[in-house]
Amino acid sequence: MKLESFRTLAWADFFLYSMIDPRALYRRIKQKEPDPFWISFIVPASVSLSGILTISLMGRESAFFYYKLSYGWIFVFLYTFLKTVIYASLIDVAAQFSGLKGNIREVISSVNFSMLPELFILPAAYPFIVGDFIPLFFYVLFSLVCFVWHVLILVQAISEMHIIDFGKAFLIYIMPAVFTGIVFILMAVMFFINALGYFSSIM
Amino acid sequence: MERERKLTVAILAMLILVAVIAIVDISFKIEEKHSREIKLTLPDIGAGIGIVRVEGPIELSSRPGPFGMPEGAEAVVKRLDSLEKDSNIRAVVLRINSPGGTVAATQEIYEKIMKLRKKNIPVVASMGDLAASGGYYVAAACNHIVANYGTVTGSIGVIAYSPNLRRLFDKFGIKMNVIKSGKYKDILASHRDMSRDERVLLQELIDSSYGKFVKDVAVGRNMSELDIMKVADGRIMSGITALENKLVDQMGTFEDAIAKARELAGLDEDSPVYEEKTSPFNEFFGTLNSILRGSSLPGSEVLYPVYKLEYRYMR
Repeated sequence: MKLESFRTLAWADFFLYSMIDPRALYRRIKQKEPDPFWISFIVPASVSLSGILTISLMGRESAFFYYKLSYGWIFVFLYTFLKTVIYASLIDVAAQFSGLKGNIREVISSVNFSMLPELFILPAAYPFIVGDFIPLFFYVLFSLVCFVWHVLILVQAISEMHIIDFGKAFLIYIMPAVFTGIVFILMAVMFFINALGYFSSIM
Repeated sequence: MERERKLTVAILAMLILVAVIAIVDISFKIEEKHSREIKLTLPDIGAGIGIVRVEGPIELSSRPGPFGMPEGAEAVVKRLDSLEKDSNIRAVVLRINSPGGTVAATQEIYEKIMKLRKKNIPVVASMGDLAASGGYYVAAACNHIVANYGTVTGSIGVIAYSPNLRRLFDKFGIKMNVIKSGKYKDILASHRDMSRDERVLLQELIDSSYGKFVKDVAVGRNMSELDIMKVADGRIMSGITALENKLVDQMGTFEDAIAKARELAGLDEDSPVYEEKTSPFNEFFGTLNSILRGSSLPGSEVLYPVYKLEYRYMR
């Protein structure tokens, strides 16, 4: 992104529409002025940092905090990056299974920008942490609210992307979650059976 | 539109500001906690007492621990060595909570403590729940022994054991093919009965190690071997009984042991105590390492006998 483009604040539209109009967000992503793909990764990077800070504020910190803030942030960002790419790919696959056109770059950008509400957990929970007023409850509450907001943004962006109704877009969003859920349950069952077999063999 | 964009930038700037405030807030808390800790540990300069912990079975580790750190008896010897070289260390307190262990490992620690004594560094043993057999052997090397009333100690003796699975092998029709260079090469084999000659050979080995045990305890305690022999039949005893039999010098706690070490070294009452420092990383990977090692060869000792003579209290 050139300096001129930066000065026009056109990039701010992505963040603005994420908050107020997810359908407009997708239309803005499609315009590619500026290219939203790399800009969108600012959101998961910031969310990773914000998450580390929120949890650190609630706990008793030692000098290890600085490692968490540097190496830990890189690690969490890489994890979030992978999670985003995998989930976006699954959404794209689910859309193609439903007979819709695939567009992985735009899905990744949408998923990234839809994480924006999670940035508000820190400022929202901060007063309760400082005041020591059931901070964990409010952290969980705000996390849930922000998650619902994140889902709403993403589902509306998918709906606008494929020109489908909200219900079908939600189905495309939820399918990968159901799929990964089933996979994890099966993995857990297999792990449990293996562990049981192993321990019974050594006892 | 321009106004909304500026508003968005302002919101983003606010988020960054909150993050910066959070970092500063946490840093201040860490700094505050750190300064409190410094206040509590400020006396940790100058001449003082070094603490060494002997926990669990005493064994020489066949492999180094995580990050190449020594483990088992080697770690204890290394810690004693570092204290010996440290000019601030005027006395050592050995905290023992061990059922004993292998003969060689125990003797290595014993010899190292004797070396410290020769250099006029008093060593005080503080017994925890258990300081039996090899655990007592190590304590006997110290200038002074402090035990709790409930400490289980004694168990002076040597043991070697292996399971006899011959009948089990017969029941399942399993036969071992053994090709050996000499008649004793598969001594302690679990698939057959022990021969008379083998029993005699092992008994000689046990007696020799037992003799060394009694002799070393007598030297360490400044008692006659005959006096030690009276209670050296493998019996365990409480701290108070050990005191009656002169196997320990005093009833007391870890704190009392530190006080005694200060007294022997001529140190002030508030002289620093240098604890063994382990990083959380080492502790975590050490635990992980033990779990992985423990589970790597389950039951392998049954089929492949481990030639171990042990100064160990069997529970």
